[in-house]
Amino acid sequence: MKREFICIICPNSCHISVEYEGKKIKSIKGAQCPKGEDFIRNEIANPLRVFTGSILVKNGNFSLVSVKTTSPVPKKYLKKVGEITHRIKVEAPVTIGQVVAFNLLNENIDLVATREIEKKNFLSS
Amino acid sequence: MIQKKDVIIIGGGAAGLAAAVSCRQKGIDDILIIERGSYLGGILNQCIHDGFGLEKFNTSLTGPEYAQRYIDQVKEEKIPFLLNSMVINLSPKKEVIVANRKGLQHFRAKVIILAMGCRERTRGAISIPGTRPAGIYTAGVAQELINLKNYMVGKKIVILGSGDIGLIMARRLTLEGAEVQMVAEILPYSSGLPRNINQCLYDFDIPLLLSHTVVDIKGNGRISEVTLAEVDKRGEIISKSKRKVACDTLLLSVGLIPENELSRQAGVILSSITGGPEADERGQTNVPGIFACGNVLQVHDIVDNVSLEAEYITEGVMDYLQGRLQAQREIQIILGSGLRYVVPQKIFTIKDTIFSFRVNQPGKKKKIIFEAGKELVKKKFFPRVNPAEMLRVKLTSEELESVKRLKIRLI
Repeated sequence: MKREFICIICPNSCHISVEYEGKKIKSIKGAQCPKGEDFIRNEIANPLRVFTGSILVKNGNFSLVSVKTTSPVPKKYLKKVGEITHRIKVEAPVTIGQVVAFNLLNENIDLVATREIEKKNFLSS
Repeated sequence: MIQKKDVIIIGGGAAGLAAAVSCRQKGIDDILIIERGSYLGGILNQCIHDGFGLEKFNTSLTGPEYAQRYIDQVKEEKIPFLLNSMVINLSPKKEVIVANRKGLQHFRAKVIILAMGCRERTRGAISIPGTRPAGIYTAGVAQELINLKNYMVGKKIVILGSGDIGLIMARRLTLEGAEVQMVAEILPYSSGLPRNINQCLYDFDIPLLLSHTVVDIKGNGRISEVTLAEVDKRGEIISKSKRKVACDTLLLSVGLIPENELSRQAGVILSSITGGPEADERGQTNVPGIFACGNVLQVHDIVDNVSLEAEYITEGVMDYLQGRLQAQREIQIILGSGLRYVVPQKIFTIKDTIFSFRVNQPGKKKKIIFEAGKELVKKKFFPRVNPAEMLRVKLTSEELESVKRLKIRLI
């Protein structure tokens, strides 16, 4: 079958037309870079996405810290990872890149913080 | 007491930070960033999704990570900044009055860089009839509440407008456990980037209803229902297409407006199309020494372009401070068919110049033509054009050399 995909890797948003049978790809046309072709191969075999969200912080200057998965995860796990983030808490201070959760769903999915959070200064607030 | 500064940057978001770092790299010592919020990085902090930085850093970052790269440089370079400080007055003489917890501070600068960003259009701006219940948010406010303040805005959502923030919020709300019923867009095409429609709507089977809008809002206390309707080619509501959709929240993603109250105070002339200052080839406004960059100048599609623009205008800032910025002659810029706007609106000094513009409607296999009279100066081919994307084309000083009037159009 033939299908047109929109690549999500960069803002170019390449429209890529793909001919494939099941998971076997016959042709890929329209990708302006090799990353687009990789994207298509994943999209047909096992679509991957980076999960981004936020988790609670204890004693921080903000009540939430933003997080992401260290690498793209299978699309089907996105909602489950979202549910798990509601139950995770981390203690301030938090640094960018700090791992806040390991091996979610036993699928080797790690979450890292994407923002610096300082300890709340109770004297100044 | 008036404190004197070489450069004052109003706004510590993406544009202000990049402008500050670039000014310092060019050797300007006396810089001050004035930020209204309690942290640097501005709106990037609430844009926790990834996809930023591909052009600038060749890697995909989240908004806070992208901001941190600049915050680190600002701190490394020891560039002074004020937080929780609101500029309440900007004069044509480049005097700045700042209000903060210490009271009022008074500055005078040789150069002002406007980097205040933009704000969202609201329900009032699009005049949706109905009652006035709670539960109606602009998409960016909902984003701030969910991502920074830990308030969930609702459970059963309708999104009006397919701007990028609305699309991003459709995904975010879904992952937070809400039910996003649809995104309605009054135009026959989306105003968001295609990749966001793909990864934010299609991934979660959220319908995108093109040529649809909200024509009525109902609810006492909290919103309980909206009426959706299809519009025809002329934008008129098709009565028989009206249908009711139960919801507890309506998000609006219906466009952004550059925030130029201060610019107006200073006598800066604004473009009626972009809502930003009319600017020359390096972002200088009609008031000498007042420059603009980022979303306060023109609403950008991606933050990388904001940073690039902020860095680009500091060349003009440097020239101005050194007294080298002298108008050679004026090239008039004429906006031709197919384009909504073009920045810069005027050229006074002949140098390599980046033109930023947006098209009026989506199209395939289009060319941008730059003409001086009947003579072709430059053309560039685009396989696809989309109003959601800001296009940029550079013309060299050689190409501009003999030009008096430059017409730019899409064919």
